Amino acid sequence: MTLGRLALVFAVLSLLGFGGGSAIIPQMHADVVDRFRWITSAEFARFYALGRLAPGPTTTMAALVGWRVAGFAGAALAALAIFVPAALVVHALGRVWQRLHGHPWRDRFARGIAPVVLGLVWASVATIGRGALDGAPTVAIALAATILMLRTQINQSLLILGAGVLGALILR
Amino acid sequence: MNSVSPWQLAVVFGRISSTAFGGGQIPAIRREVVRRNAWLSEAEFLELLGIAQIAPGPNPVNMAVLIGGRLAGPFGAVVALVACTLPGFLILLAIAAVALDPRMTFLRAGLRGCAAAAVGLTLANAIEMTLPYRTRLVELAFVLASAAAVIALRLSLELTLLILVPLSIALVRRKPA
Repeated sequence: MTLGRLALVFAVLSLLGFGGGSAIIPQMHADVVDRFRWITSAEFARFYALGRLAPGPTTTMAALVGWRVAGFAGAALAALAIFVPAALVVHALGRVWQRLHGHPWRDRFARGIAPVVLGLVWASVATIGRGALDGAPTVAIALAATILMLRTQINQSLLILGAGVLGALILR
Repeated sequence: MNSVSPWQLAVVFGRISSTAFGGGQIPAIRREVVRRNAWLSEAEFLELLGIAQIAPGPNPVNMAVLIGGRLAGPFGAVVALVACTLPGFLILLAIAAVALDPRMTFLRAGLRGCAAAAVGLTLANAIEMTLPYRTRLVELAFVLASAAAVIALRLSLELTLLILVPLSIALVRRKPA
């Protein structure tokens, strides 16, 4: 029952995951934290951070939610559910693409969906922020990371690891 | 063009996905597929990237599926999908098994630092992606509307997309800068 729910939640998110990863984060939080209470908001923020730290798409963090719910089987099922439905769509789209080639609707769709997806990325900042920022030190780390990302070419994974070391030293 | 074996796809996408700490997978795929192996031309790569970007799903995964399918049929797509996601999945579980172990109390503060930094990374992404729209009021209105729909109105993602995407397609006319 729970496994079925787990698969359904992530399969739906998979199909709605336009624009890559961050756009589905607020809905994933609404489902797994607020609705089904599988994990807390703080855990969600930690899973998200690990998802960004590891190689591959951030949405692989679905596997960590699955792990919490049902161990390795849950992790594997959640990973399949978050990747396979979207993969089927893109594979089908790749096959009919020749017919759509040069169709003006294609560009209009891409241009129209971009700002909506961007709004969802902003929303995901608020979602993750709620679980991760709990005082001046964490806010300072977040702002420092923002500035480093905008101003330097630093590798994301290194930045997250560096913040982890800093956190271990100062967040007591 | 069908001279690429599923095994070659597995090696290329497996290597990229297991080493791409910190993102940058699309340039890595381009380097392997267009430059190094010449499996696709620059134009074909861009065409597939166009499909990857409008379909749901992370772009690097979509590219793996499309390239695998184009070069070695449906089985190639499956192999590329697995090669592109399985290493990251296993590495993530390994990291989490250590980092989330309740006995590793000294890691808890570190993880809070990681989570705070991840907020910053996402904020930086959002700022960078918004800059090209800074003079475009229609697009900015849709950015604001979709953020507000999810955060303030607590609308579901389905409803938000269903309402805002058709409106945005109808109203956003100019080409991006």
